[in-house]
Parts: sequence; structure tokens; C-alpha cells
Amino acid sequence: MQIVIDGKTCDAKRGEFLLDIAKRNGIDIPTLCHLDALPGEGNCRMCIVEVLERGRSRVVTSCIYPVKRPVEVLTNTPKIIKMRKTLVMLLASRVPENDMIYQLCEQYDVKPPMRFTKDPTEECILCRLCVRACEEIKLNAISTVNRGITKKISTPFDEPSDTCIGCGACAYVCPTNAIKIHDKNGKRYMWNKSFELLKCEKCGEYFTTRENFEYVNKQLECKEPKILCDKCKKTQAQENLRDIFSTYEM
Amino acid sequence: MNDMDKKSILVCCGPGCLSDNSDEVLANFKQKLQGQDIDIKAVVKGTGCQGLCEMGPLVRILPQDILYCKVRAADVDEIIEKTIIGNDIVERLLYHDTDSKKGVVSSNQIDFYRGQKKIALRNVGLIDPKNIDDYIAQDGYSALKKVLTQESREYAIDEIERSGLRGRGGAGFPTGIKWRQCAEFEEKPKYVICNGDEGDPGAFMDRSIIEGDPHSVIEGMTICAYAIGANNGFMYIRDEYFLAISNMTHALKQARASGFLGKNILGSGFDFDIEIVRGGGAFVCGESTALIASIEGRVGEPRAKYIHSNEQGLWYKPTVLNNVETWANVPFIINQGAERFGKIGTKKSKGTKVFSLVGKVKNTGLIEVPMGMPLRQIIFDIGGGINGNRKFKAVQTGGPSGGCIPEDHLDINVDFDSLAEAGSMMGSGGMIVMDDRSCMVDVARYYLNFLSGESCGKCIPCREGIKRMLEILNDICCGKGREGDLELLMEIAETVEEASLCGLGKTAPNPVITTLRYFKDEYIAHIKEKRCPAGVCRELTSYHIDQELCRGCGLCSKQCPQDAIAKRDKYFAIDESLCVKCGSCIDTCRFDAIKVGGRISCK
Repeated sequence: MQIVIDGKTCDAKRGEFLLDIAKRNGIDIPTLCHLDALPGEGNCRMCIVEVLERGRSRVVTSCIYPVKRPVEVLTNTPKIIKMRKTLVMLLASRVPENDMIYQLCEQYDVKPPMRFTKDPTEECILCRLCVRACEEIKLNAISTVNRGITKKISTPFDEPSDTCIGCGACAYVCPTNAIKIHDKNGKRYMWNKSFELLKCEKCGEYFTTRENFEYVNKQLECKEPKILCDKCKKTQAQENLRDIFSTYEM
Repeated sequence: MNDMDKKSILVCCGPGCLSDNSDEVLANFKQKLQGQDIDIKAVVKGTGCQGLCEMGPLVRILPQDILYCKVRAADVDEIIEKTIIGNDIVERLLYHDTDSKKGVVSSNQIDFYRGQKKIALRNVGLIDPKNIDDYIAQDGYSALKKVLTQESREYAIDEIERSGLRGRGGAGFPTGIKWRQCAEFEEKPKYVICNGDEGDPGAFMDRSIIEGDPHSVIEGMTICAYAIGANNGFMYIRDEYFLAISNMTHALKQARASGFLGKNILGSGFDFDIEIVRGGGAFVCGESTALIASIEGRVGEPRAKYIHSNEQGLWYKPTVLNNVETWANVPFIINQGAERFGKIGTKKSKGTKVFSLVGKVKNTGLIEVPMGMPLRQIIFDIGGGINGNRKFKAVQTGGPSGGCIPEDHLDINVDFDSLAEAGSMMGSGGMIVMDDRSCMVDVARYYLNFLSGESCGKCIPCREGIKRMLEILNDICCGKGREGDLELLMEIAETVEEASLCGLGKTAPNPVITTLRYFKDEYIAHIKEKRCPAGVCRELTSYHIDQELCRGCGLCSKQCPQDAIAKRDKYFAIDESLCVKCGSCIDTCRFDAIKVGGRISCK
């Protein structure tokens, strides 16, 4: 099946998401809450596009819109741009001091509005990527709490979570850098909990928490794991490979 | 004495009457009649909502059809003596016509009941919801019997489709098409869900049906389950509806015991059962996909509906989800035929619609009218007009997601499409009438405030948009409105309407959009003149007494909780420094002498 995005004909499979088709064809659609590794949820609405079908136009969320039949898609109509601008304006009012959103304001020529009360310490746009990442690791240490305008991301009852292993995946996927990890004196502090950091056996650098190290090795059924940081692990793997190949040469 | 002469005493045990101790009336009747050593045979029943909540507790006596209003336990003796034993009427307990002030004996002579047409509510207020035999006596479960034993699956779907029944939950999707699409999917198992998560402020349609006639919902769901091939059903009822849950639990037990639910229903080989799921009270769970998430045990947040629930619903299996009222319509259509149903209503909106008529009308209560009835008729004939004969200002239909319709649109017909055209929506059937003492900016603010707590908060336009619109409206209401606020409101409203993820978000700006469309000058008075024309927003209101109109009766002075009104020289006057703008003087004054002005800055 073929669909047309911004005048360009693109191959598509039935059920494929619009955003994926656009990306594959080099058409840029802005996103904040999308990550290829995690299922789409359509929370940030930045990726809205117009779909023309049977003479009618409708606004859809491209990250979760499955293509069912040949359609025409427009990603940058004046209507869409106007709505994206309002979305950026709303975001900038929520997280007034955030660099990522500030850049979006520049890109969309949005002046951060003076009208609203603002919280300069707020950085989270509640895109839920962190929660989805934590769910994917099957820890469920954080989730959204409350509803409506009081919604936030937190651990159960705002207390240190039993299941959090301090892996930092939540911070890694965060588009606005809202989740802070503090590593200090061999300890990691996040989500109101402190973790012991492990030193790499080889280079001596702190690289992860003990809980994370144990959890990963348990998942991988690794019986006697070596405490190696990512960098040293790669070097080690290179050396192992070199050994294997050198035996072949002989 | 044969059965025809047997009198039925129907005591309303709907939530309104119950809160006014109608259970005592019921108990008294039962006790007194049991002890009576006379050859009067009367059946006493506690029924569901009889409709005219304003006049409750209601007692209706059949077959004479005598309606008694505001009945107390102490009135029972007199009713038994005069009406049950004798054939007399207790004049003082009759309904008194709002205009002629004359007592009206029979309910069908009362304006409130006269214009109504009952389909979904056909048994509500008439039968004892805790007695399945009462339901069966009203042709109950005959539609199920007909479909299971005489007709086919296709027949049920065809009839519903031909009847033109549309979903009564608000969106108005054709029910028959929904069933047919679901029936066509081969994946199993399939599910049937009843949405009883009624959350609109001032709405009590669904609870009245569940409380007053639970078996019609069970029967409707069972017919659908048979038609689409489902064996499991879920009844999602909000937990606050204690009586509804209790009556439904009882009804399910009785239906199972009578063979209308469970294994091999009526010997047809078809198995089906229904489980009650109690909702936690989140308004958003009335949205179908959020409701499904809630049943699955996940957080009640909606998902996009690009793939419909009838393909991938509960646990990603084909699911038919309908509203309580829709289900209650189904047995009627199967029994009476699609043609008969299709004759009622308008071309595109067939049948009737249940509304809870509340607010500043004389007759508040539960009503069911044919689709297409003009709003004016509902409010002024059935509702009896505005309380205290004040001026009508607007009617809010469709709950928080609906809109406010002004006087000059009162002649529109109430159906799915006309209401949408006027910027409002049918919704599940809340209807709140407002008089000239309602400030429309304040009304918009009230609904936005409700939604700010009830939005799920998942997507940005709905969560952030509502928050900011509410902020602007709060400012306008307390005199901090600015130039450009209305444009900003509209800009945000348009984006929220178009870019939100679910139905709640897409309709959330409706209160703002419709009040801006029909009552813009009221917004401008707030922002530019710092004046609330309705005298509601306290920061923008001052009251004064028009000395030309004042007759010096002093009633206002007695009513004032702040003692702010006193006689100075010859006239009464209001002390601004004491006045809290509660408005009780306005409500008291019979000469319309209290006038509303703008903000007075107290130095």
C-alpha cells in the first residue's frame, strides 16, 4: 500500500504507524514523548498531523495512528502549526526554565507568555516516558500519581520505592532532563532513595548501583559476573575477540 | 374482590425521596396494612424514581392513579382511611398546578408528566426493583425469550439497527452498527459492558434506571451477548451509587435463580453471566476506553480510538460497550418492533431521551421525552418554568462537556444533531436550567474547575489547557481580567478541542466556547467595566436599593445575614462595608428594588 505524506509517495504496511512511515522517508515530525523502544501513547500531541480521507480532513496523532488504507497526510499545515504553537506555549508556561522547551519556543517563534503563574522549579512535562521505561524493565518503581492538573510522577506515596534499583533509565529517556541523578562520594541519590555505587574492577570508576548490577545479572542468569563498567566491558570483549581470531589465523 | 380491584400503593424510593425519609412512609404503609383487619387488599411497593423529585416523597395509588406529594409517615393513616378503605382523596397532599394553584388528582393530568413518553423508564417508578416477578409481569424477559427461542442472532442485530437506536451515553453512535461490527469479528472471547459510571454534576438518569428497573438492563445486555456471541458481561457502576449496586446485585441473583443468566439460558444452550465492577469515582472512567482500562485493573486513562473497542476492547478482545439507558431501550425494541420505536423521535434521532431536569425550574426531576421536543417545551411545560417566575437565562445540556444554550435558541429541537449545532451536546442527559441570577463566566469557571480535577491529566492540551483556561477565568471573575484574555481563551480552547486525546478533552472547552459565543458581553463587562451583571462574582458586585421601587417593607433587612441593611432616614440602604454579596436580599425583595452594580473600591 502507498500513502502520500506532504506530497511524497511512501510505501506503507497496513497497521504501521504514520510517524514511523514518515521517519523512514525522511519527513520530520516533532515529538516529545516518543521513543522507538517504547510503545507510543500520544501524550504530548506534538506529532499531530492532518489526514485527508474521503474529502474530509481530520487531526490525528501520528505516533499511534495506524494506517488502514491509502490516505494523504499533511504534517505542516497552518492549522497544525497553530496548534503546535499553542502546545509549545502551554509547555513553556508549565516548565518556564527548561532549555529543551525554550529551544522549541525559538523554533516555533513562540514568546513564553507572561500571563500565567509559573513554577520556575518545574521541569517535567508529564510525557510518561520514564514511567513506560520503568514498566518495561518490569520494576514499576514510579508511576503517575493523582489526576487532572495535580498529576505528577512519583514513587508510591512519595516514599522510597522498594523496587527502584537506581538504574537511571527514567532519567535517560526524559526529554526535558527533569529527573536528576546525584552521584556523590560513592552514593547515588534519586527518587528519595540512596544507593551504593560500584567501582569498576578494572578502571576503578564508579559506574552503577549495586542493586542495578545484581538485577541485570539475575535477569541475564549470569552466575559469577565481573564488576566492569561499560567501557571496560567493551575493551574486554575486544580482547576476547582478538584472542579468538588469532587462534583462527594459526 | 378480584385482582383488578386490588389497589397498589407505590411509594417512591428513588434517591431524592429516600433522602426525605420515604422509607419510613413505605414501612408505615406495610405495617398498617398488615395489621388491618379489613377485606381491603392492597399491595405496597417501594419503587424506583417516579420523576417529580421536587414534590417528593411521592406516593402513587393505582388503579385510580392518584398521586400524593410530600408525603410524611404521619400521613399514612389518613391515606389508608380515606383513599384505600374509602374512595376519597386527601386534597392537601395533591399536586397543585403551578399556575391555577388547583389540586390535580392523577399524574397524567400534571403538566410534568403529560408531555413525557416513557420507554427506557417504562418500568421505573412502577415496579418493585427487588422483585423479578414484577418485572416479568410487565413483559419482562419476553424479549430475551423471543430472541433465544423463536428468532436468531441476526434478527436481534437487524431489529436494533433498523430501529435507529443511537448510543445514549452522549456520542450517539448507532447501536446496531456497533453490534454488527462486533459480531463480525471472529476473535473470542467477546465481552459486553454496561457503562453506569454517571458522573455529570446534577445527573441521575442512569442511577434511576439501575435502581428502579435493573432487569431491563440485564435483559438488554443478555440479548446483545447472544447476538454477538459473548459469554461474559460487566456492569460498571460508580461506587457512590450504593442503592444502584445493591439493587443490581439483588437483580442479578434473581435473574440467575430464574434461569435468565448463567448456564444454558432458557434451555437454549447459551451461557452468559454479568459481573458488577464498582467504579472508583473518577469522572473520566465514563469514557469508554478509560472504563475498559479500569475494569482491567489499570489506571483509568483513555487511549486513542483509532482501533474501536468493538474490535479491540476489554483485554484487546471484541467488546460492545453501551450506556445504561441504551441497554434499557433494547428489550422494548425487540418486543415492540423496530418500526414502532422508529416512529418516535426525529429522522436521525429515534426514540426518546431521559433527562434529569434540575436547576432553577419549578418541577425538577427525572423525565423522558421523545427526541425532537423543543427545549422550550421541556423547560416551560414539563419543568413548569423558572422558579419565582424569574427570567430564563440559559440551559446547560450534556454535563461539564456540554454547552450553555441561551434564550433565543430555546426553540431548537432536542436531538443529537441540533444540540451539536448549537455548540452543546446531548451528553448523557443532564439538563441544568439557569436564571438571570447565574453569571455565565462563573458557570464556565465552575465547569472548568470540575474538569481540572477530573481530567485524567494524560495529554498536554487537556491538562495544561484546562489549567490555563481556569486560571484566566478565575482572574476574570475576581476582577483581574486583562485585555487579550478572551482571545487567549479562544486560542487555547480551539487547540484543546482539536488536539486532545479523548472525548473528555475534546469537549472540555465547550462551556467556555458556548458562553463566549452567546454571552460575550458578560465577559466584557467583567474585564472592562469590572462589573458582574448577574451579581454573582463578589469582587465585582455591589448592591444598592432603588429608592423609587423600595416600599420600605424591611424584608431584606430581616433576611440579611450580615445586618448590612438598615433604615437610614426614610429609606433602607445597604452598608457596603458589611455586605458579603450573598444575594439573599435580591431573592427576598418582591419589588425588584435591589439593583446590582459594579465593583466599588472600599478604601
